[in-house]
Amino acid sequence: MPVLFELRDVCFAYDGVPALRGLSLDIARGERVALLGANGSGKSTLLRILDGLYPPAQGSVSFDGVTLTAERLQDDGFSLPFRRRVALVFQNPDVQLFNPTVWDEVAFAPLQLQWAKEEVVARVTDTLELLGISHLRERAPYRLSGGEKKRVALASVIVLDPEVLLLDEPTATLDPRSQSQVINLIQEWKGSAKTVISATHQLEIVEDIADRIFVLEEGGVAASGSTAEVLGNHELLLRANLVHAHRHSHGAVTHSHPHVHSHAKHEHES
Amino acid sequence: MHIPDGYLSPSTCAVLYAGAAAGWYSALKRLQRMLLARVIPLISVFAAFSFVIMMFNLPLPGGTTGHALGVAIAAIVLGPSGAILALSLAIAIQALFFGDGGISTLGANCFNMAIVGSLAAYGVYRMIAARAALASKRRVVAAAVAGYLAVSASALLAAIEFGIQPMLFHDASGTPLYAPYRLSVAIPAMMIGHLTFAGLAEAAISAGVLAYLQVADPVLLRGTSGCEASCESIELQPASHALRQLWIAIAALMLLTPLGILAAGTAWGEWAPAQLAHAAAQAPSATSPAQAAPAGLQRLANLWTAPFPAYAPGFVKSRSFGYLLSAMFGIGVLLCFSLSAQYLLRRRRRKGTPV
Amino acid sequence: MRRGFLESTTMGFARAITRVMLSERTARQRGLLQSLDPRVRVVGLFALLLAATVSRRLSVIAAVLAVAIALAVFSRVSLFGLAKRVWLVVLAFTGVIALPAIFVTPGHPVAHLGNATITEQGLRAAALLVLRVETAVTFSTLLVLCTPWSHVLKALRALGLPREAISMLAMTYRYVFLLVETATQMLDSRRSRTVGVLPPAEQRRMAARTAGVLLSKSLATGNDVYLAMQSRGFQGEVQVLSTFSLTLWDYIALLLFLLAASVAMWMGR
Repeated sequence: MPVLFELRDVCFAYDGVPALRGLSLDIARGERVALLGANGSGKSTLLRILDGLYPPAQGSVSFDGVTLTAERLQDDGFSLPFRRRVALVFQNPDVQLFNPTVWDEVAFAPLQLQWAKEEVVARVTDTLELLGISHLRERAPYRLSGGEKKRVALASVIVLDPEVLLLDEPTATLDPRSQSQVINLIQEWKGSAKTVISATHQLEIVEDIADRIFVLEEGGVAASGSTAEVLGNHELLLRANLVHAHRHSHGAVTHSHPHVHSHAKHEHES
Repeated sequence: MHIPDGYLSPSTCAVLYAGAAAGWYSALKRLQRMLLARVIPLISVFAAFSFVIMMFNLPLPGGTTGHALGVAIAAIVLGPSGAILALSLAIAIQALFFGDGGISTLGANCFNMAIVGSLAAYGVYRMIAARAALASKRRVVAAAVAGYLAVSASALLAAIEFGIQPMLFHDASGTPLYAPYRLSVAIPAMMIGHLTFAGLAEAAISAGVLAYLQVADPVLLRGTSGCEASCESIELQPASHALRQLWIAIAALMLLTPLGILAAGTAWGEWAPAQLAHAAAQAPSATSPAQAAPAGLQRLANLWTAPFPAYAPGFVKSRSFGYLLSAMFGIGVLLCFSLSAQYLLRRRRRKGTPV
Repeated sequence: MRRGFLESTTMGFARAITRVMLSERTARQRGLLQSLDPRVRVVGLFALLLAATVSRRLSVIAAVLAVAIALAVFSRVSLFGLAKRVWLVVLAFTGVIALPAIFVTPGHPVAHLGNATITEQGLRAAALLVLRVETAVTFSTLLVLCTPWSHVLKALRALGLPREAISMLAMTYRYVFLLVETATQMLDSRRSRTVGVLPPAEQRRMAARTAGVLLSKSLATGNDVYLAMQSRGFQGEVQVLSTFSLTLWDYIALLLFLLAASVAMWMGR
């Protein structure tokens, strides 16, 4: 499969505090990848770098063979198609919802990319339909429930029909029904050659939304492999602070039981 | 100190709209040189923040309301241009949506609070803080004083705008058509509330938030800290072209006020020299107490007030009003003087600096 | 005093939010003003507001107010609601401010109250002020009640306000609610954690710290919002879709508005 994203030795820091240290990875077209890591491991930063929002302080990021640099992203000729092809859904939907109505919110991106008016109207209507939020079109986005906000945020990027979907904690803070709605949506893209890169620390959804996992620890890739491989490697998960261990002691002997939560399989290992 | 519709005459509103427009134009122009897009969310955040702070309202008799503005902290973080826009946004939303402050008086409110307030706060802060370390106590004091003086200046301007209404805009029987209290009532009424409560509230908020930012997020304070090296600020350097234009506009307005007022009294150009001489020799009206004053000022005061038509209420012809006009004119002169001095000095320095 | 302050501020926030909800409900009704193009609404109502501001005659201002009331009735705006939220509030507020004018303004004495003299000029001045403010606030309230905020913004854009101003207004409006919610939560949690009344110095420090935290949170959010906008293609100028079109009815209404305003200004000069 052709490589879509190629990162080599990427370093990035916020005001002197390092977030990514020498990170390298490849993501192929059509893959569904999860970035697994505890909070502070650099997942969000990595997603923003993949979306070209920050240029790496060191190292290189390339998308479809083209290196992403600050100059290139300022140039309309490159950035407009890029913004259409790659879309990022932020962890906090409030950050993404700043237009007066849901309709305006979903229409924002196509308008910025200068689509024709009729096409904007058609696409927005379809997208609202797809996500089941047509009845909310005249509502103010900031007055919706958590699940509705998330769907509006998703709609606001899906309307572009992007090739790559970057999701930052897609199901965090959602109630169970909204969570499964979002997961279903991601699964429905399985066959359509879309690349989905999700950053999460919730192990229970990873199996449903990813075939390959990168485990991030302190700004670098600690391990990578197929979903089954990584989820089976408890030592790794423990070290990366993705699972917790129960400890109990019998006299001088201490037992430690790693504890994994999973919907599909129930694993209790002693 | 939001002025509602109906308190100021249309001509006052128009003049102040012009002043406000000058401020907005200059601020936008200034920020467009940097990446305005990057600054938009920042300004909007401060606008919302200032809006929330302005919701703490206290009604004052003889004036409108007293409250803190958040103008000083906005000026400290965003610089004067950003603060002008942020405060104007807050005022606009309050007027448009919450009916707090009038729409015809939007220009006046923005002029008083957003423009003069921001410039005063910024100027005072820079003056007192100078090159002190970002985390120093001196900056906290500077913020407090800047906030206090900015609110006082805004309140004073609003009081003056109220206070001159009855003198200038009344009908044939002497009924004030807009704000009904003359200067001698409006100024103390507004200032007492603002010099005490509102000014102190602004000082407290400015100092408190600055102290918090010194610990939590000192990067925000770098922009206006006056340290040239390694400054990623929103504003490039202190006095810039657009900002100076703004000062010039304000100076011009102040210089022109007596002329505008005179035009309301008699048609310009109809004075005979005899009339002027007569005005200069005219004794002050009975309503004002006898005061010792420099002869030149006295004559000037009488000059401004003399041409008013006979039916004007007594206090229009009072010396105190004349003094006020002289003071405004004088400030205008001083401003012009300092601006030209700055300009000349800069030219001299530029010529003398080796490339 | 600080205590009452916190509570009254929280109430102020709550009032603001309920006002928003009320406006959205009214804006969806089928009424006279709602049927007009938002641009016509903005221009028309502002023109009448200006007429009220310019007039020097009580009778003319009262007539303009009558027009406002008629518009309210035909737009299904509850007069009782207007009275409660606008007229009584303005009367209380501006009334307090205008009251001393009755005694203080020089002119023909009309009545005596103890040592103080009530003058004819004073009464007229107070009446002019109060009536003007009532009329003006009625018009701006009508505009806001009958027009969703997004339409107000689009109308202002169509009428020539620069794009940056519109996007800043929209974002500020959005942030206000975010901030108000956050501030309310913070104030509530403070109140629940405070036992008794703190000394004023401590209260001030607490207020300042709360403001500081609020600011930091908002700034962080603001930066993220900018990134989110960039991610969706924002290059510096917000493109807005204007879906308004003027019908014959709009033109007629606009003409009527301007005519009424001009007549009022002429008669009130």
